[in-house]
Amino acid sequence: MKQFADSTNATFSDLTETATLCPYCGVGCALNYGSDSEGVIHYAKGRDGASNAGRLCVKGRYGFDYAAHPQRLTRPLIRRDDAYPRGPLSTFSRANSSGPRKPGGIVDYAEVLPHFREATWEEALERAASGLAKVRDTHGAHALAGFGSAKGSNEEAYLFQKFIRTVLGTNNVDHCTRLCHASSVYALIEGIGSGAVTNVVRDVENAEVAVIAGCNPTANHPVAASFMKQAAAKGTGLLAVNVRRPGMASYCEQYCQITPGSDVAFYNAVMHVIIAEDLHDQAFIDQRTEGFEALAKAVKPYTPEAAEAMTGVPAAQITAFARRLGQAQSAMFFWGMGISQHVFGTDNARCLIALALLTGNIGRPGTGLHPLRGQNNVQGASDAGLVPMYYPGYQAVSDASVRERFEQLWNVSLPEQPGLTTAEITHAALEGEIRGLYCMGENPFLSDPDMNQVRKALSSLDCLVVQDLFITETAEFADVILPASAFMEKRGTFTNTDRRVQIGRPVRQPPGQARQDWHILRDLAQRLGHDWDYADESAVFDEFVQAAPLYANLTYDRLGEHGRWYPCPDANSEGERVLFGDQFPIGRGRFVPAELGQAPDLPDDDYPLVLNTGRQLEHWHTGVMTRRSRALDALAPEARVEVHPSDAKRLGITDGSWTTLRSRRGAVEVQAHITRDVALGTLFLPMHFREAAANLLTTPELDPFGKIPQFKICAVALAPLSTPLTPPQPDAVSHAAG
Amino acid sequence: MSDVTLTIDGRRVTVPEGTTIWDAAQTLGIDIPVLCHDPRLDPVGVCRVCAVDVGERTLPAACVRAVSPDMEVRTDTQEIMAHRRVLTELLLADQPAVSQREQTTGDDKLYALAREVKVTDIPWPDQSERQPRGQDASSPVIAVDHQACIMCDRCVRACDDIQHNDVITRTGKGYSARIAFDLDVPMGESSCVSCGECVAVCPTGALTHQSLATTDAG
Ligand code: SF4
Repeated sequence: MKQFADSTNATFSDLTETATLCPYCGVGCALNYGSDSEGVIHYAKGRDGASNAGRLCVKGRYGFDYAAHPQRLTRPLIRRDDAYPRGPLSTFSRANSSGPRKPGGIVDYAEVLPHFREATWEEALERAASGLAKVRDTHGAHALAGFGSAKGSNEEAYLFQKFIRTVLGTNNVDHCTRLCHASSVYALIEGIGSGAVTNVVRDVENAEVAVIAGCNPTANHPVAASFMKQAAAKGTGLLAVNVRRPGMASYCEQYCQITPGSDVAFYNAVMHVIIAEDLHDQAFIDQRTEGFEALAKAVKPYTPEAAEAMTGVPAAQITAFARRLGQAQSAMFFWGMGISQHVFGTDNARCLIALALLTGNIGRPGTGLHPLRGQNNVQGASDAGLVPMYYPGYQAVSDASVRERFEQLWNVSLPEQPGLTTAEITHAALEGEIRGLYCMGENPFLSDPDMNQVRKALSSLDCLVVQDLFITETAEFADVILPASAFMEKRGTFTNTDRRVQIGRPVRQPPGQARQDWHILRDLAQRLGHDWDYADESAVFDEFVQAAPLYANLTYDRLGEHGRWYPCPDANSEGERVLFGDQFPIGRGRFVPAELGQAPDLPDDDYPLVLNTGRQLEHWHTGVMTRRSRALDALAPEARVEVHPSDAKRLGITDGSWTTLRSRRGAVEVQAHITRDVALGTLFLPMHFREAAANLLTTPELDPFGKIPQFKICAVALAPLSTPLTPPQPDAVSHAAG
Repeated sequence: MSDVTLTIDGRRVTVPEGTTIWDAAQTLGIDIPVLCHDPRLDPVGVCRVCAVDVGERTLPAACVRAVSPDMEVRTDTQEIMAHRRVLTELLLADQPAVSQREQTTGDDKLYALAREVKVTDIPWPDQSERQPRGQDASSPVIAVDHQACIMCDRCVRACDDIQHNDVITRTGKGYSARIAFDLDVPMGESSCVSCGECVAVCPTGALTHQSLATTDAG
């Protein structure tokens, strides 16, 4: 007879489960890592968080092993003298290099490491501090800039901006929010006086309809997407608008595929119908808003028929969309990079805000504006002042009384000159105006548009200090690389897309001599003569709260295991889910009309197709983390450009075949994926893959308000790889690894 | 909705009408063993491990049966204990010798139940000797072992009702019945997005994480 054999594994009796968070997206899923005494993480389990209710997606569930990748930096590195002049060191970082990759696709250490030598912390910190100080003393403080990271905690973001402002003496501090929702935030602050979401994702269950505009939540906010799909199953009508079919379209009542860059025309036409058919909320408009007349006038010419010609969406569909939205008792508006990453990204967002005001859909359950924030802490990093125009809590640098208050709080005198934004910093480096850069956890080489220019900009610096987990593409240009701590090695607060502030907790030690990021900042500040002293992360958080009344009533103790939303009106409150029930921070909401603009870099005979760039489910931004996760790399090892079947047929391209994708700025070699998700005449290339770097192709033009680059439109030509490439441009920058 | 008062193991409890016996027992801190049910899922009552005695001819499954006024529920009679043990033995009869779940996340609910009801001998035939049910290792992150599957439907409900990915279903009849992906393709070729919710809810070694733990570089 068979016996029951108990197969308990002894390992699991020793595992500790630590309540922490997912390190990836803005959904901010709460999870437990099961780790052993060596700090090896065995699994991630969803925890009952406010934003995830136990759910996780593939990145949260399987993407945690990057922290233990063998390429982790364990000692500070200093660039060898013979590795100057500064330039890229690995093959795929050099000009005119693309194509079939080596396995893993990450920076090849064999190529890069010989150009650096290991150093002590003493020497590396001295080199970093003196390098930055030298630029400041020779060229002035405004020749320096800092890129912080939306992957760091609120405490790290707060200290980083404080370091750049008080120790280096410039407001040139920014992070990847500039590449993400800067235009949305500008439009929100202008329209309602607050840049954060007015309602949480999960309230979609109370919405009669939800607009899913220019975003692809099933890939980029998967757990948020699961709540949207759940709401749809229970009757919420989802209405999607996009240029590329989002996975969510299958769960939508209606999906309108607009032509690239025609968002304003679409939403103006929707508003036109809503006003013409008297579906607007006149009471809300009268009591809560201003500028309605100007809006009504501006949208008047945008009849559904006129918009059909501009957007490619049949007039009847636009009218149906407007009626469904206009007649609904409650509507939520979700949007993403398809709205924001345009030279008219601010105008696109203005339209969605106007649509919400017009239909009275802010301030009640099941209503609200929700720009889906990308990074796990992009909301918090902006809240903490990691942007050039605001001190912590969106207090304007340009306001003298605010500046005085911060001078008292920080006990320094602060620069008056407003700072430069991310892309402006790169441009200023090319002009020779920015000479030194401190880069903590960002990888502008791959994340910023027009990589050839970024390469020149980074090569032209006098001083580059990079603080990161790995030798990133950006770190190849560095004088000093400081080994930092991964998410699962640090304690800190992170603010998700819902404004929920939650504590992340360490489950392992940084490897070797790698250090906590905030310790590195503190040590550099001390070296440069500033007497920084904090007992621990919670003390940093308390100072941040003191600086930013936005976070009033929050402390580590009160956040506990589950966190709270801000604003948090009193010490016992969970924080507020739905904001602005009675009034907006600026009193009345403002309608800001927008006209359809013209994107730069449009197609012509030589570059007949429009390229869209973005993310895919398994990967994160520049791939530094996800391409070093065995599971995620195995699931999605390589880049594919999405091509419509008819375009593919015309060009002689088959699924999986190699192609050359060329824009006015560069060319990459990449395999094709044939799909009807993209519209005829358009392509999609994910941004994660350095060997087929989307940002080699993108254009550097910026939105005038949010200063966000136009990642979503650039003219390209596609050809099977057998067609010879246009002769390579000579590389303008010499590089040490020649 | 009105409230209902009933007795569970001699203790009185008042819960809203429509509450299941299983949920009512939870409010008293009585944990009725169950394999197919999870509070995040709609109950289906297929594993029958949570059967309780309500004085009827048969033993209803607590996870699906709603409470009724003055119901007298027993969760721990000798008959119920015997019922649970036999069910557990039957489920164990064709399980793989070693639970993959005990090896990866250490939380096999069937094995835990076996320990709880103190199973030693399994006096039932092992059908897998004649008709092995097979494995599917096509996904880089999720290992499928049909042999360990008890057809509790948790993964199907998690995929459909929690994550709304609608990938997992059932196929086949009798002993060859099993879970399947899309139109019965290997998991790695299906429309699965690898969220792992099915692994999270699976009570046995049928759906487990492929090994991921790495050793430290430092
Ligand atoms: S949805 Fe976002 S936060 Fe949640 S597990 Fe996925 S990547 Fe992490």
